[in-house]
Amino acid sequence: MASAEIMAMTKEEVLEVALTAGKLLLCNGAETYRVEDTMLRICALRGMHTVSAFCTPSVILLSDESLLGFSRMYRVTNRTVDLNIISEINDFSFNLANNHQTYQEIMAFLNQKINKKARPAWVDVFCSAIAGGCFAVVLGGGVKEFVAALLGSFLSMAFLKAMSAFKPSSFWSTTMAGGIICAVTLGCKALAPDTSMELTIAGGIMPYLPGMAFTNGLRDYIAGDLISGNSRVGEAVFLVGGLVIGIATVLGIFYH
Amino acid sequence: MIIKIIFAFIATVAFGKLFYAPQKDLWPAGIVGAVGFGVYIYFMEALGYSSMLSNFMGTIALAVLSEYFARQFKEPVTVFSVPGFIPLVPGLPLYRAMNLILLNDYTQGLATFVDACLDAMAIALGILLVSGLAKVFKTSKTIIEEKRQEAGE
Repeated sequence: MASAEIMAMTKEEVLEVALTAGKLLLCNGAETYRVEDTMLRICALRGMHTVSAFCTPSVILLSDESLLGFSRMYRVTNRTVDLNIISEINDFSFNLANNHQTYQEIMAFLNQKINKKARPAWVDVFCSAIAGGCFAVVLGGGVKEFVAALLGSFLSMAFLKAMSAFKPSSFWSTTMAGGIICAVTLGCKALAPDTSMELTIAGGIMPYLPGMAFTNGLRDYIAGDLISGNSRVGEAVFLVGGLVIGIATVLGIFYH
Repeated sequence: MIIKIIFAFIATVAFGKLFYAPQKDLWPAGIVGAVGFGVYIYFMEALGYSSMLSNFMGTIALAVLSEYFARQFKEPVTVFSVPGFIPLVPGLPLYRAMNLILLNDYTQGLATFVDACLDAMAIALGILLVSGLAKVFKTSKTIIEEKRQEAGE
């Protein structure tokens, strides 16, 4: 049984809370079934059991089976990955029944999450540099490969962060990243001729491989969300294609 | 081999940070990544299994561990599995395939590409099987609970 504060909300308010939570989850990279489940769980707390939710990577629909129902829709245009917000909203929705906050307080909590300031860009740049460098070692590289891949990931991520104000498409971003990593590797090879190019490049591109889209797509298939599964796996293939085109262009110029 | 596993651990933690994983889950995620990669490289180098089978085994190990951690820390499974399986992603075969095709060696290039795809498939299958199994496990628990309540009444 939900707390008195939840029961005091109107239907519109409950739908608003559910849609905002779903929006937060989807925009930060949650799986489709988690988004739908969360929205339905919030609605069910208020006794709205005939609500249906439909969600794909680019749209959320929340509507009622009956003709009298309300209908809400949100078009998702910008998706990132933020596991922290997924975890927080997950906790929030499971504890909502014992939540003694009013509608205004809940919405203030959710809006604060939406407007959360991005952390400084150097954290991302630093992490991707570390990840890229370490993967070069994981694949079997030595100190030279580590440094070269670290430099490649660092420069490409720094470039993407500098460009992020212009909101480039993800395909363009990964293509540029692939090109930069390849160029940096060629530079390192010119300085130290025995650097292994394949280990350096394969390590450096690791931060850009769409692992998240791929796993989430598979999880969507398992949960029976076939449209979402198709589009996410498609997105992953598309991004890998972009990365390969970026590297191949620079390498092709080099081999020519 | 030990050095590779340690670096896989560091790389997974860096990945967790890159994906904004909650601070307290970074180390468990790193362990998931290191265990997955450790199983993979053990099967591959010590036991001499094929790359595809090793990937499959590694993914099973890390997926089971991340399902366990998800229940232990009360977090969504993705928090652990997404950074965790990144060390297994076949980036190197993919690059080799592209490089060979670029050098006009289409036969070898396509063979390597198929290898990379099979590795990716093996990872996908591992994740699918374990998350499907976790679902069965969860449902069976609720069914038992219902049966128990019926019996109690």
